[in-house]
Amino acid sequence: MTFLKEARELLREFPVADGHNDLPWALREQVRYDLDARDIATDQSAYLHTDLARLRAGGVGAQFWSVYVPSDAASRPGAVPATLEQIDCVRQLIDRYPAELRAAWTAADMEAARAEGRVASLMGAEGGHSIDNSLATLRALYALGVRYMTLTHNDNIAWADSATDDPAVGGLSAFGRAVVREMNREGMLVDLSHVAATTMRDALDASTAPVIFSHSSSRAVCDHPRNIPDDVLERLPANGGVAMVTFVPKFVLQAAVDWTAAADENMRAHGLHHLDTTPEAMGVHRAFEERNPRPVATVSTVADHLDHMREVAGIDHLGIGGDYDGTAFTPDGLGDVSSYPNLIAELLDRGWSRTDLAKLTWQNAVRALGAAEDVARDLQARTGPSNATLEQLDG
Amino acid sequence: MADLQDELQAAGEAGELDTPPTTRTKRKPKPGHRPPVADPIASGDRAPAAERVAAGARASETERVASHARAPGTPMAEPMAGRAAGTESSAAEGTDPPLELAEAHAFLAAHPVADGYSGLPGVLRHLPWYDLELGEAGVDTDVPRMRKGHISALLWSLHLPEGLTGERAVGATLEQLDLVRTVVHAHPEGLRLAHSAGETTDARNCGRVAILLGPAGAPAIGDSLGILRALDALGLKALTLAGVSWAGEAGLTRFGEEVVREMNRVGVLADLSGASEPTVRRTIAVSRAPVLCTRSAAAALRPHPANLCDDLLAALGEAHGLCMVPLTSEQTGPSVRDVADHLEHVRAIAGPECVGLSGTYDSGAAHPQDLADASCYPRLIAELMDRGWSEDDLALLTWGNVQRVLRTADFAARAARDRREASTARIEELDG
Repeated sequence: MTFLKEARELLREFPVADGHNDLPWALREQVRYDLDARDIATDQSAYLHTDLARLRAGGVGAQFWSVYVPSDAASRPGAVPATLEQIDCVRQLIDRYPAELRAAWTAADMEAARAEGRVASLMGAEGGHSIDNSLATLRALYALGVRYMTLTHNDNIAWADSATDDPAVGGLSAFGRAVVREMNREGMLVDLSHVAATTMRDALDASTAPVIFSHSSSRAVCDHPRNIPDDVLERLPANGGVAMVTFVPKFVLQAAVDWTAAADENMRAHGLHHLDTTPEAMGVHRAFEERNPRPVATVSTVADHLDHMREVAGIDHLGIGGDYDGTAFTPDGLGDVSSYPNLIAELLDRGWSRTDLAKLTWQNAVRALGAAEDVARDLQARTGPSNATLEQLDG
Repeated sequence: MADLQDELQAAGEAGELDTPPTTRTKRKPKPGHRPPVADPIASGDRAPAAERVAAGARASETERVASHARAPGTPMAEPMAGRAAGTESSAAEGTDPPLELAEAHAFLAAHPVADGYSGLPGVLRHLPWYDLELGEAGVDTDVPRMRKGHISALLWSLHLPEGLTGERAVGATLEQLDLVRTVVHAHPEGLRLAHSAGETTDARNCGRVAILLGPAGAPAIGDSLGILRALDALGLKALTLAGVSWAGEAGLTRFGEEVVREMNRVGVLADLSGASEPTVRRTIAVSRAPVLCTRSAAAALRPHPANLCDDLLAALGEAHGLCMVPLTSEQTGPSVRDVADHLEHVRAIAGPECVGLSGTYDSGAAHPQDLADASCYPRLIAELMDRGWSEDDLALLTWGNVQRVLRTADFAARAARDRREASTARIEELDG
């Protein structure tokens, strides 16, 4: 496998800047942030997709750590406090492993970390519910180091529609556009993964800074609402944004999408909620899985997405967002954070040049954050912080 | 005079002075007695008419005082001269000899006030527009009046309106923090955020008022040490240990003690004004850093829930804590003399290293006569000088004690971080 050697070499110079990793949530759920119990300086492959040795083996040079908290109605009132705890978790990780991780607040910090051989650690909030309809809270998250916010998670919020919920607002509301403007003013990237296509289009209209998709693939290749339609990808060159391809099998492989739909239907047929994890429900699910083997995605599946996205959006607008520790299943050959070289090798095999791959893995993401900083400087010179409220703007 | 000249220069750089003052005489040896100097800070040319009149009056006062400065020891000519010149808001000028007031100004120029509590953020939240740089009639605290009152450091309260508890308290605290950051950012010539003893001194040396964030109410941390650390990262400096299950009438729970230890580790000060007596005692015992009472006077002189009995004052003194006496009629009494009585009492029981000042302006409290706003500290200092407080004790009272507490807390935090990891304790585990 000559390409694998070349891939590793390439990643030494231009490492992966990954858009989405759910290690903080995994640490919260598994050990309530007891960082001794999941010491990522040691091998954690029994519990996690992520540890320091595998980040290094995977050629990861920057990571947006997701500070995700659940967005369902029952979790909503506690979303802001929980987000602060998630942020604290990332800060504790950075404090704890200073030789391997480095806090990054800017594009320049990312480059400095690369030069030092440390993993630039950034944060992304996954869903507007994390700011509880407050622009002041948005600014507080920025001050704590959050550098992108996904506008929604799986559920609609008052000012934006999610890809996986019924249309309500029809994209972004007036307050939603104010949120985007305030994010532009702060220098926080607008992340359009998880949002409805209508929200993607409205956000592209409203944003004066590049947007990102922290972990989404192509809807033309695999028809799933979490993926990006071509008409949106086509707008990225004008916007300067970056679509970071994700590996989650049930989003990237059509057979897996169909299989998941059938499995959910089977659960409902048994009178259960499709996300139910009680022993009874798991039994029903296992029985289904025995009758219907789970389709398996591969490195090549993901590369197909990248080939298509490259054709539509262009090489300057692609990135990688693995969603490790945020997904139960991974494609063959992309099992954890050490496996990025496999994807790069596949792309080399498909004739991607070293220049192209440097853009994909590193340069595009750094450029987007830097451009957002420039826009923020400009806006801050002209306008003060907004304290507009949902009530004022959306009635 | 060196300090005064620095301040004049800083004010000049900040565009506060139209013309350089004519009083830059060389520093003279001052045997035992400081030359009396009036407030050197005159308002800028953008000030409204009333301000300009006051500025003119102050300028003439400066000249008058300067003539005394050239002849130290000369007794004040006639008390009425001060009255004619002093058209400042501090009204009852006739009752004290102006010499004392001028001396107080001179003293404060060298030893400014570090004020333990301001309710300004809560008030600004409801004002549609304000300018603290020019002067703001809607509040008791603005930059010109802080300069007149020689305030060089100020804790800005993040206490929330009644009833904001539980999960909503966390978000509301973030909003309050954001407001403070925005306000300080909008007044770069007057205000500067500070999070440590060093930054506080730096701000003062640059002619800015150091704004310290806090105290916030204990509900702000949402029963979570992670949130406490996040608030520390946003600049929080003090937390009032009351109004939560872990610091109630029965004192600190096990989780409450862990909160105090984590506060020590990150360098957030415990504020015990309004805490129950068992909480005060237990916090003093657990804390490795000095504790504060940001708004407590002597219960022996005036009963009030937030005032401290002699027993607690003595305990606070033993623990090298700091009791910051509020300038409010309710807690200290209706006159400057009442406030001075409390200060003397606290000094007698807790010690001169353990007494401080807390304007408590813009908190909704009524203030003693002649102490109506942030500009009035010289009145109080003049009263204490009149009572024979030594320069050393006064310097501790206005600035030194707060500096000592901040610095000790910074050191304690550094030592604690070497000793222990961030705590992941949870209230459900410790308090069941």
